Amino acid sequence: MSEGSSVSSAYEGSRKETIEELRARLEQAEETVRAIHQGEVDAVVVDGPKGPQVYTLQGADHAYRVLVERMHEGTVTLDRDGLILYCNPQFAVLLGVANDSVTGSAFHKHLNEADSRLFATQMEAAVLRGHSTAELTLRAHDGSGIPVRLSLTTLDTAGLECVTVLVSDLREQERNEAIVKEEQLSRLILDQAGEAVVVIDNEGIILRRSESAKRLAGGAILLDRFDHGFPLTVSGKRFTAADILASARAGEAIRGLEASMELAANATAALLLSASPLWNKPSDPRHPNELLGCVITLTDITEIKRAEVILFRQAEELARSNNDLRQFTYSVSHDLREPLRQLAVFSELIQQRYSVELGPEGRDMIQHAADSAHRMEKLLQDLLAYIQAAEAPQKTTANTDANEVVRKVLANFEVRVAETGAHVDCGPLPTLGVHEVHLVQLFQNLIGNALKYRGEATPEIYIGAEPMGNVWKLWVKDNGIGIAMDYQKQIFGLFQRLHGGGKYSGSGIGLAICQKIVQRYDCKIWAESAVGRGSTFYFTLPGGKL
Amino acid sequence: MDDEGNAVHLLLVEDSPADVYLVREAMKTEGLECRLQVAEDGEMAIQILNRVDAETDPAPNLLLVDLNVPRRDGIQVLQRMRQSPRYAGIPVIVISSSDSQADRERALAMGATEYFRKPSTLDEFMKLGRLVRTLHSRSGLRHEGGLVSTV
Repeated sequence: MSEGSSVSSAYEGSRKETIEELRARLEQAEETVRAIHQGEVDAVVVDGPKGPQVYTLQGADHAYRVLVERMHEGTVTLDRDGLILYCNPQFAVLLGVANDSVTGSAFHKHLNEADSRLFATQMEAAVLRGHSTAELTLRAHDGSGIPVRLSLTTLDTAGLECVTVLVSDLREQERNEAIVKEEQLSRLILDQAGEAVVVIDNEGIILRRSESAKRLAGGAILLDRFDHGFPLTVSGKRFTAADILASARAGEAIRGLEASMELAANATAALLLSASPLWNKPSDPRHPNELLGCVITLTDITEIKRAEVILFRQAEELARSNNDLRQFTYSVSHDLREPLRQLAVFSELIQQRYSVELGPEGRDMIQHAADSAHRMEKLLQDLLAYIQAAEAPQKTTANTDANEVVRKVLANFEVRVAETGAHVDCGPLPTLGVHEVHLVQLFQNLIGNALKYRGEATPEIYIGAEPMGNVWKLWVKDNGIGIAMDYQKQIFGLFQRLHGGGKYSGSGIGLAICQKIVQRYDCKIWAESAVGRGSTFYFTLPGGKL
Repeated sequence: MDDEGNAVHLLLVEDSPADVYLVREAMKTEGLECRLQVAEDGEMAIQILNRVDAETDPAPNLLLVDLNVPRRDGIQVLQRMRQSPRYAGIPVIVISSSDSQADRERALAMGATEYFRKPSTLDEFMKLGRLVRTLHSRSGLRHEGGLVSTV
């Protein structure tokens, strides 16, 4: 059987060769797989009917690699002995150590000692059943414990048996539950808000909206474009989410921008728009300081606007009618004075020229007519002064020394003071931020009244001032007949008189003028008095510049 | 130096007959002999001034102008006067019932010689006669002085 054996040995030999060749090819294949596994191969060239073709591994693998690298949970690949072959950055972050210091170490070293047994059991279970889970505690680099859920899966590819572990931070989950609660709260707040609140992403898509935003848009707008739900116009131009995002990127917050919005029912809403940017945290490892979107608030001011327009129109009308009234009063007081003056002068002329013919009774009558004309003329003159007090400029700054003004006014009353033997005492007065004409009129009227409404005693008049808050309080005090409590407010009204024309004549305009003047300076005038015990007139005025 | 024997030619721009009467009365009281030419409104006054310019009318010695007259007001009459050098030496008294400082200043700025506020007592009104006499004699003096210097 030598031949046979030689044949046999030849066969033996060729079989051996084939086995050797196959072994070599297997080795090559295994090496290739290993290389692919280790990431050493970027592409494989395969001979095909259309010539050699390149298959890159990148296309298939890269997406997964990126996914794993970026995923929010930790992933670890272990060999059967529990040695770490690979871990993603998130796992290292969880432990608070560098990536490469984890690779090559035993997984159980990163566990709480008490959990080592549990882990070993779960590893066995995973190998047996292909999958297992465990909740245990990782030990971070700083010694702190991190509750995690492990999800173990065996991988048996290309003969390399290993276990991948998905590590979910349970604190994160707890935090997420808290976030959900917070989320519910903010949703509640959002829906309670009267304003329309809309959250858009950085492409202008609506992610959140309050109930009132939904009402304003007139329907469902979630995940729709902001510009569809809210077609806005600002100063005649379309105003879009892009505009809002652009100003957010430029670092300009939008506050109370007036916008209008076309409503479905052919109407327009007037809105106030505010927008605040939503930035990613600077500490975010992936996209620090990225603009995530904007929170937009739209306040419906349609009704307010409408009221504003009405108010504006009314104010205009009021100003117009005030102006008409002013012109009317002015011309009336001017034009009425003309014939009155003539009436007075002609009465005198008749009295002079026809004195004898008139006789005593006739002269008396003419005298009454002349007096009436004079009284009316005085009334009109005072009315004119009243109108001018309300008219005179107030905005321009003025500086008037009150001491100087009182001196001037007392000089005007020289004769009356001498006649009555009045004693006038004037304390030091301030410089006031008031026009001189106004201050003259004030003191003229008040000192005039003090002299006029005197009692039996010799008139005593005290003038003084003291600071009161940020204004001055001035007063003119007398020992005259006084004013009954009931009338102390009334006396500042126009044509208000407490006495008949007999003893104390007057037009009843003097104090009205005083009040008008102090009111021009946002100040006040009031009286303190008792019948028979004199009166004190107080008024406030702004101080002047020193 | 009064123009004795010669009546003063006054041009009075005044729409109120009562005031025309009182002006005449004031001149009488002052004993001033005058020829009172009355223009009842500003338009009429300007026409008179035009005729004076054309030398078809004699020039007045003095003007009394009420500010508040119909058609053209007193200020427009003053403006017309300033356009012609002929009126440069002729005194103008603005008479007005307005006691506003603004009206007074405006009248003087427009070339009025005096501002006389129409008073509401007879005595005061009669003082207008004295004012006319004073201004007239002053202008007469100036006129004479001018003649002397020419000679």
